[in-house]
Amino acid sequence: MSRYEILSPEGLRTDGRRWNEMRRFSPKMATTTAADGSSYIEHGNTKVICSVNGPIEPRASSARNSERATITVDVCFAAFSGTDRKKRGKGDKRVLEMQSALSRTFASTLLTILHPRSEVHISLHILSQDGSILATCVNAATLALVDAGVPMTDYVTACTVASYTNPDESDEPLLDMNSAEEMDLPGITLATVGRNDKISLLQLETKVRLERLEGMMAVGIDGCAKIRQLLDRAVRDHGNEMARMGAL
Amino acid sequence: MPRELDPTINEKSFILDALNQKLRIDGRDLDVFRELELSFGDDYGLADVRLGKTRVLARVSAEVVKPFTDRPFEGIFTITTELGPMASPAFEPGRQTEQEVLLSRLIEKAIRRSNALDTESLCIVAGQKCWQIRADVHFLSHDGALVDASCIAVVAALQHFRRPDVSIEGEKVTIHTMTERVPVPLSILHVPICVTFSFYLDGEVCLVDATLQEEQLRQGDMTITLNKFGELCQIAKAGGLAINALILLRCAKIALVKAGEIAAIVQRRLEEDAAVRVRRDNLLESKADNERA
Repeated sequence: MSRYEILSPEGLRTDGRRWNEMRRFSPKMATTTAADGSSYIEHGNTKVICSVNGPIEPRASSARNSERATITVDVCFAAFSGTDRKKRGKGDKRVLEMQSALSRTFASTLLTILHPRSEVHISLHILSQDGSILATCVNAATLALVDAGVPMTDYVTACTVASYTNPDESDEPLLDMNSAEEMDLPGITLATVGRNDKISLLQLETKVRLERLEGMMAVGIDGCAKIRQLLDRAVRDHGNEMARMGAL
Repeated sequence: MPRELDPTINEKSFILDALNQKLRIDGRDLDVFRELELSFGDDYGLADVRLGKTRVLARVSAEVVKPFTDRPFEGIFTITTELGPMASPAFEPGRQTEQEVLLSRLIEKAIRRSNALDTESLCIVAGQKCWQIRADVHFLSHDGALVDASCIAVVAALQHFRRPDVSIEGEKVTIHTMTERVPVPLSILHVPICVTFSFYLDGEVCLVDATLQEEQLRQGDMTITLNKFGELCQIAKAGGLAINALILLRCAKIALVKAGEIAAIVQRRLEEDAAVRVRRDNLLESKADNERA
């Protein structure tokens, strides 16, 4: 395998971005009519489609809580989404972990107390994988929940940050990992709620020096704020479009 | 399905009121672990960890298997965990609950994926024979902090374990019994320690080593795994209450201190156990660098 440079001496990454640049982020809202809310996000080559149903009557009695709505999440990796064709089963631990992380993230942001004995079902399909998958899932789910009109306190937005080690041992955070960077560098996935930059989800899976965490988190919080603006614009554009069509 | 009983409203308000005044009902400070008791079995590779009323047993065993074809130079290391009704009546046998999946994923990431065990040293003949090291974690009693306790148990058991020595002559591999040759310890690259923080009162109070009752009442949690060199192995804050970044960074600093302390306790207990073994099994005689006074 040929070794490529993650970060060239000129400060450019493999896809030509600088350290603080994100890939192209294009959110779309209300993409399917079958669900209460839906969204489609392309973040670079990572593509996720999300649909939200709810609040509905719980499909399983275990999802019935007399005090608040429960949030169930289904994550499905399409067999053709990765580089090698592989079907990920329902029982895959990594998928289960993602589902649980997503449902717990939204459980603290949605006003679940307004809909007792009901369920909000979020279903995510990953059509193409190129890094930052969990983060893109969070963003897609946020957008679909807004579309569904489920009451929530604020936007939950997520992004990833890698930590690159320069040849002189100094470190440099790189915003928004693609899959090549995810493979080679340690990185965090971080989700913030709203404007006050509180962190609701933070995941790190590879070894990294403790001192680097602060820098990565700072860059990540900025990235989340940027994504928040992009999502907000998508929501407003969609609202204007609806008003123009006479739907409102 | 049996469920863990929720704390009563009285208990809940009592505990939260106390936490508001920075007090815990068992009298500990907010960032203090319960007393860690660690004992080893007669055999190598058995560690019994007690953290207050939480008790976790880890057993490490080894067998010779064929390595995975895509990794011919590496041995195999697996960690199995099963939450059974022995730990708490709320756990059903045989069925994997979400809690169990998360717990096993966390331990897996903390210990296996951070390369705490050097799997390349487990290779015997490339592509044909290697050691499979298996750590079985048994939960005997559940009073909170299962992740922290099981991580300590696994790393202690791994460090305590000795595998039979192997010699290779051409194609012939001989596995020497424990009495024939002094068994060899595993090559441990670093000792990861998990510290779980629980958040209350909108993030103003964060506890380490919460008991079961405190765990039931928490609004959010975060598990940080690091070693004494200050390398983060894993962070998992999967949802829950949104917390200010500065508080999370402060937690990471606390975790570093705690990881150092716990690793030191584990190290001390290992040395004490080794000293007992030397006396009991007369191991001084079997050392090559013996002074034979």
